[in-house]
Amino acid sequence: MIASLVAGRTRGGLRRATPLANLLLLLALLAAVLASPGIFVKLGALLLVLGLAALSGEAPRTVLRRGRFVFGFSLFLLLIQVLSVREGGVLFSIGVPVTDRGLLAGAEMALRFLVIVLSSLLFITVTDPDRLARAILALGIPYRYGFTFVLALRFVPFFREEYRTVREAQRVRGVDRPIRNLKSLRRSIRYTVLPVLVAGLARVDTVAVSMKGRGFDLHAKRTITRRERWHPIDLAVVGLSLLLVAVTVLARERGWQ
Amino acid sequence: MTGASGSGKTTLFRVLGGFVPSMIRAKVEGEVLIDGISILTKDSPRPAAGVGLVQQDPDAQICTLSVWEEVAFGPENLCLPPEEVTARVAESLASLGIAHLAGRETTRLSGGEKQRVAIASILALRPRVILLDEPTANLDPGGAKQVFDLLRSLGERDGRTLVLAEHRLAPLLPLHPRLLLLEEGKVLLRRPSVAYSDLDSLGLRARWEIPRPVVVRSGPPALVLEGVSFAYGEAPLLDRLTLRLWPGEVLGVIGPNGSGKTTLLRLAAGLERPQAGRVLRPKSPVLGFVFQHPHQQIFERTVRREFSVEDEIAGARLADLLRRARLDGLEEAPPLSLSLGEQRRLTVATALSRGPNLLLLDEPFIGQDRENVVWILSQILAARERGAVTLLVSHDIPLVASLCDRLLYLGEEAVEGETAEVFDHLESTRREAFTPGYWEGGLR
Repeated sequence: MIASLVAGRTRGGLRRATPLANLLLLLALLAAVLASPGIFVKLGALLLVLGLAALSGEAPRTVLRRGRFVFGFSLFLLLIQVLSVREGGVLFSIGVPVTDRGLLAGAEMALRFLVIVLSSLLFITVTDPDRLARAILALGIPYRYGFTFVLALRFVPFFREEYRTVREAQRVRGVDRPIRNLKSLRRSIRYTVLPVLVAGLARVDTVAVSMKGRGFDLHAKRTITRRERWHPIDLAVVGLSLLLVAVTVLARERGWQ
Repeated sequence: MTGASGSGKTTLFRVLGGFVPSMIRAKVEGEVLIDGISILTKDSPRPAAGVGLVQQDPDAQICTLSVWEEVAFGPENLCLPPEEVTARVAESLASLGIAHLAGRETTRLSGGEKQRVAIASILALRPRVILLDEPTANLDPGGAKQVFDLLRSLGERDGRTLVLAEHRLAPLLPLHPRLLLLEEGKVLLRRPSVAYSDLDSLGLRARWEIPRPVVVRSGPPALVLEGVSFAYGEAPLLDRLTLRLWPGEVLGVIGPNGSGKTTLLRLAAGLERPQAGRVLRPKSPVLGFVFQHPHQQIFERTVRREFSVEDEIAGARLADLLRRARLDGLEEAPPLSLSLGEQRRLTVATALSRGPNLLLLDEPFIGQDRENVVWILSQILAARERGAVTLLVSHDIPLVASLCDRLLYLGEEAVEGETAEVFDHLESTRREAFTPGYWEGGLR
């Protein structure tokens, strides 16, 4: 999954930035949609995410196609709010009254959901996991902990593939029946989790021997040969993140809706 | 070093590599000396210096995300200066002829490439002894040949000590190896040198004598693939493939990893739909599907319950199935606690318990010793006698050559025909790793 997501067509935009700068931007975007009141900042954050995606080689059409479900679900959230909030002035009626506060609350929730999901997807898409791992290891945290993150990334495609095969084996043996009650849910979990877990444990054993055999954990520190270097684009991304945080703080203080 | 599954090869490698008892607790006696220093000590801070271990699964032993980082992993752990790390990575990759892979993601490598990267990551530590535990077991014949060629050049050029566990010995004989035959943890036989003729006399030749009855190809075929095309994404995996198989026929499917062999089985099983063309299965299909790794299709808590996943099987019938699979006495055992050989017999027995007329086997022989292979063959032959159509995906070329009536090679091109014809074509097009001659010692 990780590999397929980073397979971008261009090396432009955020793809050129160091992963830590991108991580900071992601956090700033999340802070903006979670901490700002109303829809003003949230709408700005959404436009920013779409713009950055385009700059990074993700055509708007592709974003719309890949994010079909996300856009669909945000519309659903909007609709639920519109239909359930009765407070505020009535704008018009569609069988039930649609109020200005309902519309605002729905738009707020839909925008928050869109920005959280799309910015996370953009971060995964533009960030090379190898560079991210390297940046995390270079942060100064003990490398034993840093490598858990690297290993987790190594295990993602393995578990995905293993899960797919086990589900197919269940289909072949006719045990992929729909879940109707707690008993069938328990059985489905057992039938899936156990084989995947067994494969995972065998793999942990092999990788532990492989790492230990190459001197992992021999010394308290290890050499870091390749370090992520900061470039002007990274400073621009950090600057953008700080600006976003400043706008969010301002919006909270001034009550921008 | 050769020997059946469970004969102690992997354990011995872990002892030689210094993982026992420092990392894996065990009661050990005797001594292992590397450069005159005993490594069998609990206090050893790390596995033996000067010894590197390459394991069987090329994917599982890789712990980083890019080839460069993977090869640098060992030298960086040893706290070597960055310039030294860079030099060692370049040297190791160049000595294996894979410098072009340096910038690649490890997840995007083929099995053969991964195993060469694993060897490069060991070479970067500059060990005097390299241990290789069945390094080609999970590779396709082309990938395995790459590794054998590499070992040959390593042995000839660097004069390093290589200790290698392998079942298929013929391609290794140009290395002029010494031979150890292990059985149940003991050395059964030592030979200071081995010749092709020895392989026959020791029963170690990869050759099979399997009766192959003539298949009557009249009447309607039992399985038809007509102009089948299939792709994951944009690159076509199968392109207008047409096949007709009659009852009792065994089709061998060979080719490089990622060429569509397993996808073909999934199409035949109805797990995938072709994007063009059609698949016509037997009128009342009873499917038996054996997956590559037994644990992937074992779901229940006991062997007895495993037989009843699809339909309730009990009493005399269950006892008969258990006896035939040589699992009697293990009815209440948790299936995942069985040995790999027993798990494989269990999955083959459950797949055959409903008398399938379409039998799909995906690498059923991997990790199996000769005794288990013979048992699996007997089950395939019994299914063939009942009229089942069998599709067998396997990297074991000599076995496929002896068992299969017809052969399908999937790779740069799809070649289908009588077994001997397809092998002739592959040999004439310089794909000798996919012909029995290479594995039986006919080609040097």
